[in-house]
Amino acid sequence: MEEKEVIISLRNVSKYFQGKKIIDNISLDIYRSETFVIMGCSGSGKSTLLRLMTGVIEPDEGSVIIKGKNITGISVEELDDVRRSFGMLFQYSALLDSLTVEENVSLPLREHTKLAEDIIRIIVKMKLSLVGLRGYESYYPSQISGGMRKRVGLARAIALDPAIVFYDEPTSGLDPVVGGVIDKLIKDLSSKLLITSVVVTHDMQSVFNIADRVAMVHKGQVVIVGDVATIKNTKNPYVQQFINGKPHGPIDFFKEDIGIKEFLEL
Amino acid sequence: MKVSNLKKSDCTICSIEGEINLNTSPDLRKAFEEFSRQNIKKIIIDFEQVPYIDSSGLATLIELFQRMKKIDGKLRICSVPEKVKNVFEVTKLHKLFEIYDDQESALEGF
Ligand SMILES: Nc1ncnc2c1ncn2[C@@H]1O[C@H](COP(=O)(O)OP(=O)(O)OP(=O)(O)O)[C@@H](O)[C@H]1O
Ligand SMILES: [Mg+2]
Repeated sequence: MEEKEVIISLRNVSKYFQGKKIIDNISLDIYRSETFVIMGCSGSGKSTLLRLMTGVIEPDEGSVIIKGKNITGISVEELDDVRRSFGMLFQYSALLDSLTVEENVSLPLREHTKLAEDIIRIIVKMKLSLVGLRGYESYYPSQISGGMRKRVGLARAIALDPAIVFYDEPTSGLDPVVGGVIDKLIKDLSSKLLITSVVVTHDMQSVFNIADRVAMVHKGQVVIVGDVATIKNTKNPYVQQFINGKPHGPIDFFKEDIGIKEFLEL
Repeated sequence: MKVSNLKKSDCTICSIEGEINLNTSPDLRKAFEEFSRQNIKKIIIDFEQVPYIDSSGLATLIELFQRMKKIDGKLRICSVPEKVKNVFEVTKLHKLFEIYDDQESALEGF
């Protein structure tokens, strides 16, 4: 087997918000062309981790290394250069409401290439067809469903043939069939086009369908990293509780919360 | 990227050499536009020396396909390396194009 090439590396990364440690000393390597899934409960820090990897926010401690280049503290221009090879589908990434589906997907192509209009139009059609939205070119975001908007966002994220795609909850809000289509697309992009995918998701079905490796995040720490079999078979109680969706276990949903008495100011 | 054309009776064999990407696909497009200008109706595109094709390259190919269809022309593709074939498959373009293993089989019955 070939030596695995590290494409994203986090070294002792921590991030604080309002004095609270949201990401707690995470070190992680992601390999070229793998599908790496980050799972964990709501508020555990998954989106924050993705924003750190993509340079949207900077760590307070530690460093983020992309293709061997430390992107922590580099200039905006240099960062832009690195991010040119990224596709990003954010959890709440919005389309521009005043533009049609076609115009939304063509934005990155207009901005970053000098391709002819006719060629851009064909690329947009190809990308829309990949996410199952052929024929919706002239619709406005307000005229399509939430799941469809998400897929338009995905088409836009892959418009420039990125080497690494970051997905934050790509299948949430989609019906299982469309979710399966998106999963297959993510998988195909990795296995056939050798694109690296980093996927944040709650969707266990999706985790087991697409992941080469999985990391579970809990309270800003990585509690386990491993392949799907490792995750399924681990006795780690956090992982077991999470994948089985059990209300009781070490992940205590209410522990952090203030009591009902305090809440009602009784 | 380099494009070289070879006439074989009424058919033009177009061999591409090098990566087809954002930088090179506009040149490929120019080469294809030349085919239309010369009203060439039978084209085989040989991909043997193409290690990589991106979406702009695929779009350029689709545009040629559309143009050929309009003039009742014929387009065949041959000798596609595995990596490039994968790109065709992911984008489902292998269903659109007639793809042959090599020039000989592409020429057969053309
Ligand atoms: N810009 C910010 N300012 C202050 N707090 C923040 C900020 N971004 C995130 N947080 C806090 O960090 C914690 C982790 O947030 P994050 O969005 O990373 O969670 P998540 O794992 O993605 O959750 P979900 O599954 O609900 O999307 C939360 O408690 C959140 O309130
Ligand atoms: Mg989130």
